[in-house]
Amino acid sequence: MTTPADRTVIWVHGDCLNPHSPAFVRYPAAPALFVWDDALLAQYRLSLKRITFIYECVLQLPVVIRRGDVATEVVRFAAEHDAPHVVTVESPAPRFATIREEIDAHVRVETLPLPPFLEYRGSLDLARFSKYWRTAERYAFGSTRAADVAEDAE
Amino acid sequence: MTDMRHDFADRLDFLDYVRDQFPDATDPYAATGALRGGRDAAAAALAMVDAPDYARTRNFLGGAVTRLSPYLRHGVLSLAEVRDAVMRRVSHREQAGKLVNELAWHDYYQRLYAEIGDGIWQDREEPKTNLAPRAYADTLPNDVCDGTTGLVCMDSISRDLRTGGYLHNHQRMWMAAYLVHWRRVKWQAGARWFLQHLLDGDPASNNLSWQWVASTFAAKPYLFNRESLERFSHGTYCRVCPHYQRDCPFEGTYEDLAARLFPVAEAMKADDSTSRGDRRKIRTDAALPARAAKKDDRKKRRPRDRRYEE
Repeated sequence: MTTPADRTVIWVHGDCLNPHSPAFVRYPAAPALFVWDDALLAQYRLSLKRITFIYECVLQLPVVIRRGDVATEVVRFAAEHDAPHVVTVESPAPRFATIREEIDAHVRVETLPLPPFLEYRGSLDLARFSKYWRTAERYAFGSTRAADVAEDAE
Repeated sequence: MTDMRHDFADRLDFLDYVRDQFPDATDPYAATGALRGGRDAAAAALAMVDAPDYARTRNFLGGAVTRLSPYLRHGVLSLAEVRDAVMRRVSHREQAGKLVNELAWHDYYQRLYAEIGDGIWQDREEPKTNLAPRAYADTLPNDVCDGTTGLVCMDSISRDLRTGGYLHNHQRMWMAAYLVHWRRVKWQAGARWFLQHLLDGDPASNNLSWQWVASTFAAKPYLFNRESLERFSHGTYCRVCPHYQRDCPFEGTYEDLAARLFPVAEAMKADDSTSRGDRRKIRTDAALPARAAKKDDRKKRRPRDRRYEE
């Protein structure tokens, strides 16, 4: 089921500050929001340099910028736009999962995947990098790797 | 709810606004030096990447490192996008090998982060330093935070971290090893300090790298010595350091340093079982330098440098 773009808002978070993110590509006309996570800033005691850098990244995005409790602000933003649907982009951070669940309790959240680094869906041994690399190396070079393998085989 | 500003008259106006809006931020350095945020700056940095040059010089301070990590950290660029851009510019896959391998480290850490979540703050394994957890301090020493240890290398790295928010990977590893092994500080304290300041501060890459140095995510602790630091820094620090060739704490072979820093291992005690007198001696002083141990034992604990001193 798809939701019309005019009833969708985008939640932009700090792990994907890319104007070409899957959310902007799929919903180019949707209003977008970035929220400074006050609790996170306090927890990590982020330096002003880091804040400046992130802000510079945000300034190149078509977003409204607010601060406070992220879930509260995203839910409020969706209500302002009468949007029953929030779209965002995946992140491995546990805090992202927590906030997404908090939003999802009020407004449906769609999480879009990022382009994968490895075009590989099988299992990977993450015990050590060397074990991961044994499998990952075959895919890490992208399509160029495949071309070289073909040449090598000739 | 008032929206925060999106438009500014100029950069000074922007920086003043950021300072004003975030008065609790922990340092006064609003400017980020040569590293600017945003997609435009990221694209410019990506355009400058020279994979073969990176492979040749990346281990040296001043080498052709990419400085893409802050953009990767915040998803301004994706790993796949960087890899594809690099691959388009090389004629042979091998020319991009080192850089792709480095990107894969990011991918690996992200995958692990997705699996262990906040466990990223816990020791992945027991440390291999033969030291009890209580041997490590919970907080950073002030002289390291302030850059007043008197060691030119460490003070410079501390200052670079706090003022510029970016460190070469070797600088990170040297500082991490210094804090954990020489100053006996818990890696978590150092990891929090780095996350506070590094523009690319990402709990996954940052914490797992600290754990790698500490040996809670590696088979052995990571050490460096003066010779290695001097070589990869082109002597920048050592040349002006009053401790050089006098009382530099990093002077010595890896075996000597390991003997100085880590107490005698249990395994070593077992190996000493033929000499009852030696074993007693070691037992009565848990922190006895391992130079009293057998040469073979020292070799077992020889540290190595993951990606640099192969």
